[in-house]
This record gives sequence, structure tokens and C-alpha cells, in this order.
Amino acid sequence: MKTEDLILALSADTLPQKSVAQQLARAMPVATLISIAAFFAFWGPRPDIWEALGSAAVLKTLLPLGFVVMAAALALALTHPGTRHDMRSAALGLFVVLVIGAFATALLNAGFAGLIAALSTPSLVTCLLSIPVLALPVLVAVFWALSSGAALRPRLTGAVAGLIAGGLAASVYSIYCDKDMILFVVPAYCAAIASISVIGALLGPRLLKW
Amino acid sequence: MRAANRGDSAAYHRLFTAITPVLRKVVRARGTALGREGCEDVLQDVLLAIHSKRHTWREDAPLRPWLYAIARHKVIDAFRARGRHIELSIDEFAEGLPAAAGPDPMDGRDMEKVLGQLDPRAAEIVRAFGLNGETTAETAARLDMSEGAVRVALHRALKTIARLRERMIE
Repeated sequence: MKTEDLILALSADTLPQKSVAQQLARAMPVATLISIAAFFAFWGPRPDIWEALGSAAVLKTLLPLGFVVMAAALALALTHPGTRHDMRSAALGLFVVLVIGAFATALLNAGFAGLIAALSTPSLVTCLLSIPVLALPVLVAVFWALSSGAALRPRLTGAVAGLIAGGLAASVYSIYCDKDMILFVVPAYCAAIASISVIGALLGPRLLKW
Repeated sequence: MRAANRGDSAAYHRLFTAITPVLRKVVRARGTALGREGCEDVLQDVLLAIHSKRHTWREDAPLRPWLYAIARHKVIDAFRARGRHIELSIDEFAEGLPAAAGPDPMDGRDMEKVLGQLDPRAAEIVRAFGLNGETTAETAARLDMSEGAVRVALHRALKTIARLRERMIE
């Protein structure tokens, strides 16, 4: 087929295509509902959930959601060639620095022994296993939506997709988790989210190819 | 491009006509080892990518950086994939030989293979627009389909083509 003929065929196809943001808005709620349904089937909220949501522990739920919004904004920039993403990367980076700062302050107060004590609980394993499982449907949805975009850096974009899925799963899981100390929450949640991010980075080059 | 995203086929065609010679030059400059036909295949890959990713251009952004980023990605990708079974150009040691009447250098080979894999009706529609330059209405009348159905069929066929070509160069 001649290139001129291909151009004619291409220019005849003017059906509108859904934007990546629209695909994301379509897929994310479905995946989140699946995740939440699984959560209520197998985990369930902690007994004192209403008191927890009225205290500082609500940050366990809200901060990951803010993180998800920032990661999603970055993922959208990464799938639109020619869009700068340094501001969005910086926002995400700043967020992580603040969280680590809070963790460092708590660590200085409690000392290393305090960290060991905080992490010496079976909740750690539950957390590290639960968040990735809850993240799975979201990860599938995010990859599906982002693959309609044009990722120039598929590995990085895959990692950010993992951050979206992991953040959302952490937020859901926090309804169950009854450990509220910074020394537990920050390392455990961050490690769990990072593990999804690594999975995303590994899958990115394969699934976001175009 | 803005008009094209609103469904203005003529404007979209003008855009492709304007950028194709530039892209061809870029591809040929990089791909002397692929031969003219191979370069045309890469060029068609780039055009398909521009088409299938057109929604990732933000209308308030300048078009050139977007276009360049898409083309660059696709050219690198195509050369990497085709590089594995690179064809040695005979031009380098056959200079001075009378030029054989080769196939049309504007002709891509990959496209024919891919069209052969489509279901006949889809291939027919793509050819109708390309080779015969038919309008939607003419194709619809000839194939006894509604115009909407022709539009959707063309859209799907081009998507399938992009996917098949992707698989082909892997």
C-alpha cells in the first residue's frame, strides 16, 4: 500500500477517541469498587473505625488519597508527549519528603528501639500482603487506561501506575489497620506501595508499548 | 490538527500531506541500511502512530513538540525492531550498474501483509479509502452499509492494523 493511500485512509477516520483521563475516570471507579468489595468480604473495618476517623488516624486514609491524585496527574503528563511533568514530579517528591520527614522526627523521638518495637507485630506481614492484593484490580485498570496514551518512558510510567494502585489500596486497607503509630504506618505502607510500584515498573515496558 | 480532532477530514488530510515529506526525510536519513521500501514501512508506522495517538495531543499545546516526540519514539522503536534483521543495501557496491525497474519506492511492503491478515471486508474498506479515494458515502453505497457503520469499520480496521504491525516488528 502506498503511503499516500494510507494517508487517505487515515484522514477518513475521524471518529473521536476517548482521552486518557476519560479512560482513567471510567476504569478507576470500577476497580476501586472491586477492591472495596474484596475488602469488606475478607478484611472488614476495624471495630473502632468511627473514633479512628475522628482522630489523627484519619490521615492514614486521606494522605494516600492525596498521593493518588498527585500520582495520577503525573501519569497523565507522562502519557501525553510534549507535556512537561517536572512540576508534577516535584509535587509528588515534596509529598514523599514531608512524609519521610514526619517519620524521621518520630524516629528521633523514639529511637531505633522504638522503631523495632513498632514493627514487631504480625500486623506488618498482614499489611505488606494486603495492600498489594487490594491494589491488583486498580493496577489492571490503571494500566488499561494508560495504555491508550503514549508513554515515552514506559518503565517510569509503569512505576507511577503502581503508585496510584498502591496508594489507593493503602487508603482502603487503612480502614482495617488498627496500628496508628507513625513508626509503623510510614515504613509499612511505604514498603507496600513501593512493592506495587516495582511491579508496575517491571510491567510498564511490556504493557505500555505502542 | 484541531480541526481534524473535530472531525474535519480534509484538514486532517492536509496535515498528513504537509508532515509526510518531512518525516520521510528524517526516516531516510537514519535508515539508509533499510532501503527505500524499508524506510517507507517505518514512515507508515510513524503515520499510524500519529493517527492512533492523536488524542494525546493537548489542544492548548504547540503541535510540533508532540509530533516530534511521537515520530522520534516510533522511528527509534521501528529501527530497533527491524535492526535485528537488517537488510544490506546493495546500492553501496552496485553503483554503476544499470538501475533495475524496482518496485515503487513510495510503496510499503508491510501494509500488504497486514491487510492480508484483516478480514476481507475490513481490508476492502481501508483500500476503498486509500487506493480508490472513495468518500464514506460512496463506500457505504457500494458495500450496502450505513455511513456510520463504514466509519466504525474503518476506525476498527485501522486500530487492528496498528496492532498487527506492532506485533510484526517485534
